[in-house]
Amino acid sequence: MGVIAPPPDRTRASSTRPTRSLGWWIAASVVLIPALVPPISLAIQVLLSGTGLIFPTSRLIELLAATLGLAVAVTITSLSIGTITAWLTTRTDLRGRNTWMVLAALPLVIPSYMAALTVIGATGNNGLLAAIGLTIPTPYGFWGAWLALSLFLAPLAHLTIIPGLRAIDPAIEDAGVGLGASRWRVFWTITLPQLRPSLVSAALMIGLYTLSDFGAVSLLRYDTFTRAIYTLYAGQIDRRPAATLSLILMALALTVLTIEWSTRRRAGYRSSSTKRGRRLVVLRGPGRFVSIGFLGSLTAISLLLPVSVLIYWLVRGLRLGNELGSLWDEVGRTLGIALAAAAVTVVAAFPLAMVTTWKRRRMSTTYESVAWGAYSLPHITVGVAVIAFVLRSAPIVYQTAALLLLVYMGMFLAQAMSPIQDSLRRASPDLEDASRGLGRGQLTTLRRITLPITTPGLLAAATLVFISVMKELPATLLLRPNGFETLAIRIWSATGEAFYTRASAASLALLAVSIVPLLVMTRRDLNT
Amino acid sequence: MRRSPTLITAAVAGAVLSLAACSGGNDGPLVIYSGRAEELVQPLIDQFEETSGIEVDVRYAGSTDLAATLLEEGEATEADVFYAQDPASLGSVASMMTNLDDSILDLVDSRFADREGRWIGTSGRVRAFIYNTSTDLPLPQTIDDVNAPSWSGQLGVAPTNGSFLAFVSAMILERGEEATLSWLQDLAANDPVSFEGNSPIVAATDAGEIQGGLVNHYYLLRLRAEGAGENAENWIIPAGDVGSLVMPAGAAILSTTDQSEAATEFVEFLLSTTAQEFFATETFEYPLIEGVDLDGAVPLADIPAPDIDLSQLADVLDDATRLVTEAGLV
Repeated sequence: MGVIAPPPDRTRASSTRPTRSLGWWIAASVVLIPALVPPISLAIQVLLSGTGLIFPTSRLIELLAATLGLAVAVTITSLSIGTITAWLTTRTDLRGRNTWMVLAALPLVIPSYMAALTVIGATGNNGLLAAIGLTIPTPYGFWGAWLALSLFLAPLAHLTIIPGLRAIDPAIEDAGVGLGASRWRVFWTITLPQLRPSLVSAALMIGLYTLSDFGAVSLLRYDTFTRAIYTLYAGQIDRRPAATLSLILMALALTVLTIEWSTRRRAGYRSSSTKRGRRLVVLRGPGRFVSIGFLGSLTAISLLLPVSVLIYWLVRGLRLGNELGSLWDEVGRTLGIALAAAAVTVVAAFPLAMVTTWKRRRMSTTYESVAWGAYSLPHITVGVAVIAFVLRSAPIVYQTAALLLLVYMGMFLAQAMSPIQDSLRRASPDLEDASRGLGRGQLTTLRRITLPITTPGLLAAATLVFISVMKELPATLLLRPNGFETLAIRIWSATGEAFYTRASAASLALLAVSIVPLLVMTRRDLNT
Repeated sequence: MRRSPTLITAAVAGAVLSLAACSGGNDGPLVIYSGRAEELVQPLIDQFEETSGIEVDVRYAGSTDLAATLLEEGEATEADVFYAQDPASLGSVASMMTNLDDSILDLVDSRFADREGRWIGTSGRVRAFIYNTSTDLPLPQTIDDVNAPSWSGQLGVAPTNGSFLAFVSAMILERGEEATLSWLQDLAANDPVSFEGNSPIVAATDAGEIQGGLVNHYYLLRLRAEGAGENAENWIIPAGDVGSLVMPAGAAILSTTDQSEAATEFVEFLLSTTAQEFFATETFEYPLIEGVDLDGAVPLADIPAPDIDLSQLADVLDDATRLVTEAGLV
């Protein structure tokens, strides 16, 4: 028995004293309120007025299976792509790897509806590719949705895995190599298990996002649960059936979470405090060729192609004399609300990340589930549920920017919590203990130790939320103040009526603005 | 040691409260809920603001969304005018509308207005059959021909789109629920290609990926303005059934308005020669007042339209979604 040492506890054992944590628990509870409002409001609506369901059960099961299948396929594909790009750009001596690192992250700024639109614009008889003699049929249905979502969600995995890879103690891998293991064996038996927390975070973000996505599946015509929900909202005045379906979808998401938690193994992955230099894997001959080829074609498909399609539409329309109109107001509003939302959400996610990385209790699991549950709800559902709730309980905030901010915060709390959790888990609690041992108060410890340690996580959280808010459409459409048009709304409105010239201009503006924080974040990553 | 989380909570609460304070309501401008896209009507609204001196705030969203939102808001709504894409959305909030003046109602053929004068059509959209000009498939003579075996796998539909649902609602009024369900089931059995909206159907037909589809007439004209659409043409189904339904976009004044004068002025503006010419030349819709025509399209008077009371569309809108679902199209 005594031969095998118990696995190191992955929780942050230092902070288990309940008296010290009460304030944090209160803060975490408060910030969860916006995430709780939509599901509770939906549940009340369904309980009071019935399900109003018009779908036969067999159809529901069919939709559930289709949705789940897509989510699994997209998650696996995005994780694989993201792991490869992250590894190639941090662990090898590939030339220009810093540039590739940024290029692999950039497709994140492309909203799923735009991704789908450009897939359609690039393929088919009239597609851009046909113009250069390469006519491929438009991949509608499962494969189209899978392709569009996988490519544009892979950067989430890429960005989540890079810090994970960096945090792994090189000594362990070196020991593996020293003991005669091949690079592959080291990767599979040492690197990958240590990456588990990053992979899990990325998988949750990608999988649960796929459950809630509407843009890609609707344009590429793949029937999912969320598409059915949107259809019901768009076609029916009676909102009960859509509310019922949304609750079922959230139950599905929570089931996925529960499965994930029950299989979560305890693993230690704290980085050692000795910062030793890491040896880069030297890519030779075919390996180098294949790597460049992979990164190159990935960039071509997920970045170059969509941007080319947009520019093609823009130029084609401008030459016919279509007018663009000014977009400056939209740019300003979109930037303002996204920055504010990023700030509010990150501040709110911090206490949540703190309490959920403490010694595992049922309570922290519950808190985490609430955040992820809210993240998995289709945004239109959130919008409708919030309208119903706010009109009854707080009409003063109805159609205000403040409400919009709170709603974004509830929706994207999980996305901000996740990178902060990762950086907290990697930090050794010894440092905090030492600080307190030296008689420093909790505030000083927070300011001098915890916050600096988690800065990369906070920055990543802010960037992810910023980009998500920039792209957000359905909830914004329902909840914004009158006249508060954002870039995403302009794109929606222009594409719906086939104003491709203007839609392209707004899309390119959205990409240009979203790229800035992403560049800042990856730049910073490069310097660490 | 408890200060830190409290501080964070306070910071969040403070930020939220200050934002709430600075973005409070304002009774000033005329508030229009527009289910018609900004791209289509904003230039017109700019023009209205300029000529009338009335400040306007527009809330753009889907027509059905806005109707449901209005019902949810009830008396608390800030909206003064509801400007929607279809009679079904308008009709579902008819109970919240005030009656329009006869001088306004007289401007438009009464079949394009609410029976009780609560909303009025402002521009016409016609259901059309888009087809690829090189197709050798027979063009449908009635809406039932659309389900002919020759069109199997070649027909584009947008079963979740508002205009398709309004068309199904009209069919329910014309034929009853049972016959409509059986038409929808025939359609579903004929392996249609379903799209999200009308413009992708037109684009796919133009590209020869499908041979035809059920759409509204103006998407083709719109696509041509973007530099495509040469290989597609609109066909108006000649039987005089719901296949050639004329569906007006329309406007209404809400009874809770505190700006009924400005609201009336706006509705009148939509029916002015200026606005009607704008529809004809910019959005390619049919003008509904006398003396303004849409160039390059079958004249409105020549379109064989079914005799359907558009005021009743709203009553069957939810049934339409249910039937489309039941037939397995969604």
